[in-house]
This record gives sequence, C-alpha cells and structure tokens, in this order.
Amino acid sequence: MSGRPVLAVEGLSMQYETSAGLVRAVDGVSFAVQRGQALGLVGESGCGKSSIALSLLRLLPENARITGGRILLNGEDVTALTEEQMRARRWSSISLVFQAAMNSLNPVYRVGDQIVEALDEHVRLSREDANARVRELFDLVGLDRAHIDNYPHEYSGGMKQRAVIAMALSCDPDIVIADEPTTALDVIVQDRILREMRRVRAELNMSMIYISHDMAVIAEVSDVVGVMYAGRIVEMGSTADVFESPIHPYTRALVSAFPSISGEKQELITLPGEPPNLMDPPAGCRFHPRCPFATDACRTEEPPAVRRGEHYAFCWNPLE
Amino acid sequence: MNEPGYAPAMGDASLWRVRLGLAAGSVRENWALFTKTRIGVIGLVIIGLYALLAGAHPILMNTVWEERVYDPVVGYAFDETRQPAPPSLSHPLGTDPLGRDVLSQLMFSARTEFLLGLLAAVVTVSIGTTVGAVSAYFGGIIDTLLMRLADIMIMMPGISVLIVLSALIGVDHLELALIIGILSGFGGTGVILKSQALSVVVKPYVEAARIAGGGPLHIVFVHVIPNLLPLSFLYMMFTVTGAIFSEAVLSFLGLLDVRMSWGLMIHTTESAGYLLQVAEYWWLIFPASLSITLLCSSFYLVGRSMDEIVNPRLRRS
Amino acid sequence: MTSYLLTRTAQMGLTLFVFLSLVFVIVNAQPGDVSNFYSLDPDIPPETREKMQDLFGINEPLWKQYLVHVRNALSGNFGVSFGHYPRTVMDVIGERLPRTVVLFLTATVFSFYMGFGLGKIIAWRRGGWTEYTTTLGGVTLYTVFTPWFGLMMIWLFAFQAGWFPIGKFLDPVIWRDAPTDANSVFLRMMLSAAVMSAAAVAMFAISRRLGIGLPAPVRALALAGVAAAIGGVWLVSGIGHLAWDIVRHMVLPVATLTLISFAGTMLLTRNSMLEAMREDYVTAARAKGLPEAKVRDRHVARNALLPVVTSFVFSLAFAVDGSVIIESVFSWPGMGQTLVDAAINEDLPLAIGAFVFVGLFVLIAHLVADLLYVYLDPRLRG
Repeated sequence: MSGRPVLAVEGLSMQYETSAGLVRAVDGVSFAVQRGQALGLVGESGCGKSSIALSLLRLLPENARITGGRILLNGEDVTALTEEQMRARRWSSISLVFQAAMNSLNPVYRVGDQIVEALDEHVRLSREDANARVRELFDLVGLDRAHIDNYPHEYSGGMKQRAVIAMALSCDPDIVIADEPTTALDVIVQDRILREMRRVRAELNMSMIYISHDMAVIAEVSDVVGVMYAGRIVEMGSTADVFESPIHPYTRALVSAFPSISGEKQELITLPGEPPNLMDPPAGCRFHPRCPFATDACRTEEPPAVRRGEHYAFCWNPLE
Repeated sequence: MNEPGYAPAMGDASLWRVRLGLAAGSVRENWALFTKTRIGVIGLVIIGLYALLAGAHPILMNTVWEERVYDPVVGYAFDETRQPAPPSLSHPLGTDPLGRDVLSQLMFSARTEFLLGLLAAVVTVSIGTTVGAVSAYFGGIIDTLLMRLADIMIMMPGISVLIVLSALIGVDHLELALIIGILSGFGGTGVILKSQALSVVVKPYVEAARIAGGGPLHIVFVHVIPNLLPLSFLYMMFTVTGAIFSEAVLSFLGLLDVRMSWGLMIHTTESAGYLLQVAEYWWLIFPASLSITLLCSSFYLVGRSMDEIVNPRLRRS
Repeated sequence: MTSYLLTRTAQMGLTLFVFLSLVFVIVNAQPGDVSNFYSLDPDIPPETREKMQDLFGINEPLWKQYLVHVRNALSGNFGVSFGHYPRTVMDVIGERLPRTVVLFLTATVFSFYMGFGLGKIIAWRRGGWTEYTTTLGGVTLYTVFTPWFGLMMIWLFAFQAGWFPIGKFLDPVIWRDAPTDANSVFLRMMLSAAVMSAAAVAMFAISRRLGIGLPAPVRALALAGVAAAIGGVWLVSGIGHLAWDIVRHMVLPVATLTLISFAGTMLLTRNSMLEAMREDYVTAARAKGLPEAKVRDRHVARNALLPVVTSFVFSLAFAVDGSVIIESVFSWPGMGQTLVDAAINEDLPLAIGAFVFVGLFVLIAHLVADLLYVYLDPRLRG
C-alpha cells in the first residue's frame, strides 16, 4: 500500500442529540482507503456504521454533529469545508449507494432523468452527451438500455439496485460508499449484484467502502475489514486475517455465525444480550458485558491495541 | 400513543387501572410535547377565556344584571336614549339596534356555541369511531358499503345542504348538530379513523383477544375503539370548528331557528342596515365576528397541535 | 388507469343518484306539496300551478313522484322560478353557472399556488418564527368568519379606499351602450383563460419531456408571452374596457376566497412535505450534491404534491361552500348567491335546481382532480 490514501478518517466522533440524551454513535474511529481498495465495515445494527457513511458525505440529520476527528478526502479535510464546497464534492468525489436502494429512486421521475440530474449538477454535459453517458452506465451495470425511460416502479428490486449503482458511478467518483447495498434483495440477486460491483470496481480501479451487518457479504467483496462495535472499530485487518484468525472475541462470534466461510470445524460462540446503550456505554471494553472471556481489567480500563502486522484489535484477552 | 403490546389476562377493573396508569403517564409526556408547539397553548387560552365568559353569564344575570334590561333576547336598555347605543359603563359593548346589551348577548351565545360544538363533536366522533372500527375489523361487504357511503358524504357541500334544509324544513341547534355529526361522522372523519383502525386491528393483542375467544363486538369495543380515542379526540376539535362556523353562517343568513347566537347578532346588524358602517358602529360587528373567528381558530389550533403528537409521521425524531 | 377512472366515474354516477334521492327526501319532508309554494305567490296564475303539479307528478303515488323527480333532474327540467318568474330555473342557472365556475376556478388556482408555495417554506423552516406566524395567520384566515372577512375587505378596499367596486358583477353605467351583452363578453374571457391554462399545461408537459425541470425563468417568459398575446387581442377588440369592468368586479371576491382557503393547502403541504422529507430519495438527492432549493422543489415538493392533491379533493366540497358564502356577501350573481337567495325567498324550484347544480359541480370537480392525480403520479398511469 503506497501513496496518499483516497480517504483517511482520523479519530472521527459524532453524536446525536435526542430528547432522551446524547447518543455517541461514533467514537474515535480511524481508517484509510487506498486507490482501488475495498474496505468493509461490519457490525450489528446500531453500531454506528451508517452514521459513518452519512458523516463522510456530511449528510447527517439536524440533530447530529461531528464532534471530533478529521475526514481527509484526497488529502482535504471534509469537516472544514463550507456547505457549498461540500456540495461540489458530493457525487463527483464521493458517492453513496444507499441502504434501502429501493427507496432512493424518486418515484415520479424516469430513472434515466435522475442520473442526468446528477450529471447536470457536476459535469455540465450537452443533453446528447449526458444521454450517451447514461447509456454507457446502463451497459456498465448490466441494465438493458430499453429501460432508461422507465419509471422506478417499473423496475424489479435487482434492477433498481443496479440503477442506483449506475447513478453512484455517474460522475466518476474517487470513492463509492455502499451502505447495506443488497440487504433487501433475495440471495441469488444479491450474489449477482455483488459480483457485478466487484467487476465494475476492478474495471474502473475505484475505491469502495462496503457497509453491512452480513459477514458473508463483507467477506466476498472487501480487501480490508473493519469490525465495529458500539461506535468503535474493535478489529481491523486484511479480509483473510480477520476471518481466518480473528483477534477479538466479538469478531470470532460474528464469524462463527456464518459457518460456511471457513471449512474447518469451529467452536460456536453465542452472543448473549444486546449491544450497549450508546447514551451510557459501559466502562472499559464496551464489549465486556457480553464477552465470555471478560476479566476485571476489561470492566474498568480501555483495552490496548494488539498488533499482528497490519492486523490489529483492541482487547485485553486476545484470541490466539 | 403508548399502548401495551398485549392485553394481559386480568379482571376488567385492574385492566382499566393499568390503562389509566398508562394514560396518565402519556398525558404527562404528551402535555410536554403539546406545550412545545405553542400554537396549541394559544388556542387553549382563548377557549378558556370564552368558557369563563359563558360560565359568568348566568351568574351576572342572577346578581348585578337586571333581567328586563340585560336579557339577551327580550331585554331593553331603558337607560339609553337612542339605540344602538355606544359602549358605556353600564353597557361595556353597547347595545344593538333593538336595544339589547351586546355583551350579554355575546356571553349568552358563547354557552350555546360550546354546547353546539360539543354535541356535534360527540355525534361525529361516536359515529366516525364506530364506522372506522367496524369497517376496519370486519372488512368485506360492510367495509365497502360504509366507504362508498363515506365517498358520498365527502362530496356533500355541507353548508349548501344546510341552506336548503333550513329553508325547506327549518333547522334548530340540535338538528344542526345532528346533521353535521352525520355528514362528518359517516364521511371524512369515518374514513380517517378507519385508516387508523386498520393499523390497530393487525396488532398482536387483537389477534390474542380473538384466539382467547373474544366476540367481534367485544373486540371492536374493548380493544379497537379505545386505541382510536386519541385520534377521535383530535377530530372532535376540528368538528367543533366546523359546527360553530356552520351555525354562524346559517344564522347570519337568517336561516336558522335560534333565539340568539353570534351569527344572529350580525344578521340583526345587517337587517338594521349598519353593516357597512364599520367605523361608526363597530360594536355591532366586531365582538360577534371576532368571537366566531377566535373560537373557531382556537379549536382548530388545538386540533393541529394534537395532530403533531398523535400522528407518528409528524413526530420529531 | 382507464379502469380506475371508469370505476370513479361509475361511483360518481351513483353518488349523483343518491344526491338526487336526498333532494327528493328533503322536498317531501317539508310540509305541503311543492305546488303549494306556487299558490302562495299571487303573481303566479292557477294554470301554471296545474302545470307544475303535472311536472312534479304531485297527484301520482310517491314512488312515481320519485321517478318523475329523477327524470326531471337528469333532463334539467326544474320548472319555473317564481323569484324570476316567468324564467325557467335552467335559464337562470345557465346564466349564472359560468360566473361561479370562473370565480371558483380562479380563486382555487391562486389559493393552491399560494398555499403550496408557503407550505413548502414553512416545512423547510420547521419550528422557526416564520412557521408560527404563518401558521397562526393562515389558520386565522382559514377559520375566519367568512362573511365578516368579506365585509372587511369590501369596507377597506371598496368603501374606504375606493379601489374596487362594492360587490356585484358589473357596473351598469359602463355597459349602457355596450355593443354586446355581459354574458358573451364573459364567455370570451373564459375562452382566454382556457387558452392561458392550456399554455401552462403544455409548458408543464414539455418541461417533463425534457427531463427533470425546465428552468423557471424560461417557463415564466413563455407564459408571459402567451398572456401578452391574449391581452393584445383584447385591446384591439373594442370591448376590452367591458372585460376590464368585469375583472375589476372579480378582484375582491377572488382575493377574499383565495385568502380564506389558501391555508388549507398550506397546512396540508407542510405536513406532506415533512413526511416526504424523510424519504430515502431525498437524502439521495442531497447526496447527489443538489442545492437545497432543488432538493426541496424537485424532490420533496413534487412528491408532497400527491397527497396534497388527494386531500384537496376531500376539501373540494368545503371550497365550494366557501364560494357560496362569498358570492352572497359580494352579491356576485352566481350559483351560490342564487342558492342563498332562493332559500331565503322560498323560491323552491330554483333552490332545488341550484342545489342539484352545486352538487353536480362538486362531482365534476372531483373527477377533474382525479384525472389530475392520475396525471401526476406515474405509478397510476400505466
């Protein structure tokens, strides 16, 4: 891995202000994505994955605030930009394939027009060139050109997903974030779409961040994996390392929930309880209330980093 | 709405105690939300003021106001030399062209308006809630019939219907309340409550009650309707606005068989020819008109603020 | 789509039938028979009374009377008005219906635009002072005692300021030696308005063909061009001043009707916008880097429009009631004033005729709104 990363996140923290109190959804998260690399973020729902995605594009709701850290997009700190500057970066530098892609197409406009709309905002093409670009994108994601002038309700789930991916690619972004890109699809379509995305990424040498609760999806598409728990990254490393020799007990539990990944027999770790309340997270290691190996140190003190080359985790009792 | 996920097997009494407890808790929480909307509080204050006026009228009539002078319908201000008299100490809002005290008329009518509004609202919501719950629970042919009826009711221009009715057969306050109640209860209110009821009938506790052997009527009245009440209450507010407004328009046109009301006060002003002398005879026009406007707006504002709370889609995140 | 509209039309036909039956019930619930009303009027000769009895089938059994009633209503045979004796009810209605249609449509278009525009803004600034004051003002106007508000408008702008005439449809002095009568001028005005609306609709359709949104200045310029052309035709026609007189009489009632009804659309739009703002495609639009104004207008508002149109259909009957009241306050000789006057003067045939037409008017407005809805929502167009 060499050169300046396309995206570097350093100690990012953000919180939601709710009527019940402050929710620290993301707490000191750091990672970097190199050109052409695919990073996977995995974790249970509510662990802050999607909040990270929204923070990267600065699309947070009104009650949310980034409280610390930097987000370097091509070396430029996104958190310091004005709204107007940020708007110009969206889609042209960083784009997003939404969780629930089904609903991210506006039902009253033709699909092709919605892609043209994004092009018009950033690239300024003639009408003819814009249409040509849409045809090109449809070919790229494997959609029939005949459907360019159809409305979203005339598309199947898989087609909508492809259309949303085409839209995300329209302005040649440096990095695409895919937030649960295939959750709503059935397994066969899901598999096909994932393979398609991998192909497109290789073709365009593009960086991506995949966000999912599904270990199997992450394992299939990403080069590097970050495991999130309660607003923090607890383990990070190459996909092979994380899946084959996890350091953190939480990762092990997640991996073992998908037995098909590794062939050999493995002790199944069950996870009792629920993720912690982020308004009042537990002291020490946030995972300790659910961890079968928890000791006194886990309950009181922040866990130290355990490094094995590029692969690291935060744990008092790392697995062998 | 904080409804329990299921209704535990208990005696009816303790069940209701649990419900009341939950209701009290949610009242406190919702009151906080309600006060936050501000416009609802403005509405409540104005309604309170008019309630005070309405309540004070019989007390004044029995103490300081002499009946033959201050009676809102047959009184006469013998102390004034020409009618209508401008405001004075003994007649704070002056007298009308027939020599009657305007303030007394205003206060007397306030009570009528409240009674009319309340009656229309109760009729509307009783019909609407029952239609909604029955239609949603039973579905099928009953639902189809009730909803087609609702379509027709929605297309009825209420005031025009009332104009024709009052011209042909004569309408008084009671009949007015009933007609409004039927038009709205079988019409728009019923449709809205039905859409709410549809989300209630699929709740697990309704299923549980059915499995436990509850009869359809029992389920509709014990499990479905109580969960519609917050929304029903909200639509009562809008019905009150509609009822007071309709009454005012009809009695302004002189089409209603009533002894005294705000609309009739303006009708009297009009028939006596003072309607366009707004600056010279303001007390003949403004008190009644403003009262109609204020009371209608207040109930509407309260309804809207309640909507912000009851309607989950409008709740703030 | 066609099946949806067919169903709706069938429903409306049924509704009309029920409506006519209701009228029959009301008429028969009042004491005495219809023709008694004629005998009470000394101006009406006994022969006419007999003719009326035949017309209404008074001496037949009730069910036959009912059939006669429905047949009469459907064929537009409501008898002779005795307030306007000897004109027939249909003759009176034929003269007055267009005036109501124009008043109602103009005010509806204005109030819809105003309500939708303001609703967009207050939804976007939820919780601010803009929202409180606009909501408070809007609700006050929405629930204001309409006759009083109309009166204040007349008093302020016609009586005190003298900018507009006090009520009525036209000024007889101007029309004394006019080359043509009021109705033919009015019909030409309606034609102009229709051309104007057609231009607006065409603009909308063209803009949709071209993708998402034609720039607003282009649309405005094109519409202004059409308006100027129509204005030019009126200028050289020689009856422009007559049309202008009618327009001057229209301003106050239209303004009043707009002001009392825009808040309904505004509040609906606000709620509908707040719901639409939560949709994923709105976040998607922002993520695409669209400026807030485009996110609001193209994505949120365009979708919020659909439920607003639906609810607007619900409130049509209310809006028609509003114009009934406004007409009688402004002495605008349309269906509303006809209905109120006929009711007050117990001109029974005219009251029934006017009532049936008001009902029919609401029905047709519903059908038009349904068509509009189908046009706006691609999911229904199939």
